[in-house]
Amino acid sequence: MTLDDPARDLQDLFARGVDTPLDDEAFNRWGLRVFAYQFRANPTYRGFCAGRGVSPETVTHWTSIPAVPTTAFKFVELVSATDGAREAVFRTSGTTSGSEVRGTHVVPRMALYRASALPNLHAHLNPDDESLAVLSLIPHPDAAPESSLSTMMGFAAEAWAGSAHWVGHPVDGPDPHAFVVAARQLAKAGAPALVAGTAFAFVHLLDALTELGVSVELPPGSRLMETGGFKGRSRSVERDVLYARLEERLGVSTSRMVNEYGMTELLSQLYEPVLRVGKGGRGVHVPPPWLRVRALDPVTLEPAPQGVPGLLAFFDLANLGSVSHVLTQDLGVMDGRGVRLMGRAPGAEPRGCSLALEDVLAAESRQ
Amino acid sequence: MPPPFATWSIPEGAPLPLPAAVHLGADADNAPGLEVLEVGTHWLQELASRLRGSGEVLRSRPVDDLIETLGRVGSRFLEPGDPLRAQALEALPSTTGLSPEMAAAVLDGMAADWTPERLARTVKADFPDPRVLDGFVPGDRRSLRALGPGLCFQLVSGSVPGVGATALLRSLLVKAPTLVKPGRGDVVLPVLLARALREEDPEVGRALAVVYWPGGRQELEDVALQAADVVTAYGGDANVGTLRRRTPVTTRFLAYHHRVSVGVVGREGLADACVHRVVSGVAGAVAFFDQRGCVSPQIVFVEEGGSVEPWTFAERLAHALAEVETRLPAGHLDAQEASALHQARGTAEVMAASGTGVRVLHGDDATWTVIYDPAGTVELACVGRVVRVRPVKDVSQIPVRLHSLRGHLQTVAWAGLDERLAPLAEALARAGATRIAPFDAAPFPPAGWRHDGRGPLEELVRWVDLEG
Repeated sequence: MTLDDPARDLQDLFARGVDTPLDDEAFNRWGLRVFAYQFRANPTYRGFCAGRGVSPETVTHWTSIPAVPTTAFKFVELVSATDGAREAVFRTSGTTSGSEVRGTHVVPRMALYRASALPNLHAHLNPDDESLAVLSLIPHPDAAPESSLSTMMGFAAEAWAGSAHWVGHPVDGPDPHAFVVAARQLAKAGAPALVAGTAFAFVHLLDALTELGVSVELPPGSRLMETGGFKGRSRSVERDVLYARLEERLGVSTSRMVNEYGMTELLSQLYEPVLRVGKGGRGVHVPPPWLRVRALDPVTLEPAPQGVPGLLAFFDLANLGSVSHVLTQDLGVMDGRGVRLMGRAPGAEPRGCSLALEDVLAAESRQ
Repeated sequence: MPPPFATWSIPEGAPLPLPAAVHLGADADNAPGLEVLEVGTHWLQELASRLRGSGEVLRSRPVDDLIETLGRVGSRFLEPGDPLRAQALEALPSTTGLSPEMAAAVLDGMAADWTPERLARTVKADFPDPRVLDGFVPGDRRSLRALGPGLCFQLVSGSVPGVGATALLRSLLVKAPTLVKPGRGDVVLPVLLARALREEDPEVGRALAVVYWPGGRQELEDVALQAADVVTAYGGDANVGTLRRRTPVTTRFLAYHHRVSVGVVGREGLADACVHRVVSGVAGAVAFFDQRGCVSPQIVFVEEGGSVEPWTFAERLAHALAEVETRLPAGHLDAQEASALHQARGTAEVMAASGTGVRVLHGDDATWTVIYDPAGTVELACVGRVVRVRPVKDVSQIPVRLHSLRGHLQTVAWAGLDERLAPLAEALARAGATRIAPFDAAPFPPAGWRHDGRGPLEELVRWVDLEG
């Protein structure tokens, strides 16, 4: 079995769109098939599973398939491709402390990423199928080839009919002047746009616009995608405050602002379905049918009871070329439609006076 | 269930009414949680002035007399049947996350330094003639006087119980009125100690206050940073760093930032006759404080060529940790710690499967984890009794490997070095170690140790030279 057979079938599955449900039984069949492939094609993952006494012969439900912790992506390449293909290598951005080892996600088939990411992005940010322009604070994929987020925005810009404006820079952040020029151009043309950026980039843009004393009025029908938290950054702003300030400066209603939750280690994303179901979608992140989310008790890793926060584990069929079952350090609460995110598992206060060696040794390895 | 623990000890007759107290939920299930004062800046300012005002009386007390008083109260934590010890034992497990057995062992180890004899030794280590704390002492062509600060602010974070109480005793020994802001997980002992001191000796009691507020109240920290003459900050690098930046330049700032400790096992300790004893010493040092202490070894270097090879040593260490678990069970992990443990174990398992030579042994539900790491590639946060075993060809290779840790290195625990100890100690000292101790002794440095390389009492005082 090569990567191409299941990849082709998965692309067909994703092409059915996010509104075609995949019931538990069907998802389980897919999960087991993907696992059987990864077990065969990925010797490291096979060894990991064998160490836990799990193989395709013994497992009957996808929830029993061993989950790889996100931290492992920092130290080991987990590639499930017998042909050795590496069409993209995505890396996590790390935090501003800079000493962090960055996670690496090798992607053998970009087509699978596009097939998963684009219909989901489209459904949540362009549900009426308009010819949207893209105004991106996220750098162009050529400027940030290791960014999975840039790559995804590239998919959208390429697929949608409107113009694309890239005002982000991987190091310096968004260029406020370029942003204003592009926004005014769009306003003049009356072309509705998707404005996309990380929370951090939006904060910087707002600060710059405030300092310049400039506001823009994006054309009616524009919408905004905000992603990423403020993890490890020097400044954090509550999301409500951020959205209110964005509405004031950019002329996009807060009701047309959507949060995306994604991570380098996963090729599928979750969105707040605000443009699909209205206000009620705020605060809940919905996965596509080919991505399953569970909240697990932080100690036992058993499913947390309904309404109780747990560590989020994802099973992403689009991760066929790496590892599908991933355990994160993020906390969330399952909600009928999706998951309510609570950010990184909080420690009340740092315990103990011993240093987390990770930072120090990471610095060592870079020297 | 016991009532929630009240997280303050304030001198009586405070100039302002005590702020309202609120209940703070506990991390652990079914734990009683904490009562916390809703402290405001104005109130804290008043408290600081009041403490400073009590300095004259404190300074008039001879140091021997203070040692006696502080030691009398400190010893009560060791006394079976003493209500103070009982209160501590009751409140420690739920507030620290340590198991009751471990909390008791930690209390025994910490309070052993709070007796009059040990306190006297602590003072003697920094002031060979303690009379300098009482007045000018004539010496060679000058007289010397050591004066404690008019107000000392001790900001302690973390949950190694006993650190805050020891900090309080240190500044009282140099006669400094003291405000302690303890860490959430180390709130019990300084509060109990302060209350008992107030009862025992009102004069001393008026010069000290312990009050907890949840982390991140920068405006409160700033009041205390401005008010104090000396600030002592225990905690993570980031926290200590921001406190240092906010402290006035004329205020002495003493940083006890993050530290890392490691272990060294030489091949002499791997002989069949003694390896069992060595392994249990290493296991004890790893397990104590559930690996939260700055003295807890996180990496143990094991020399090749002994009758037990490093991998076998790692297996034996795993057995020993399982055995310690039955006597001194590990405590409760909060969500973040539990998450970090899953990440660390799972990542080490993935590395084990990727041909790096890494091997992992762990206790499933018990937190102990031994990661055998021949290439030194496992760079994971330690949490809850996680230790890495790294083989080395010769112990003389270790100091250079510690180069990147030099700013953080503290204790190097050792076993099986025989006559190689002296040359290795010199090399380790040059590599940044401030304490080199047998594994058995690692958890509890002796009274009078040079904490992180400095005299902990001496650094609090201002020396005055009187010439002519």
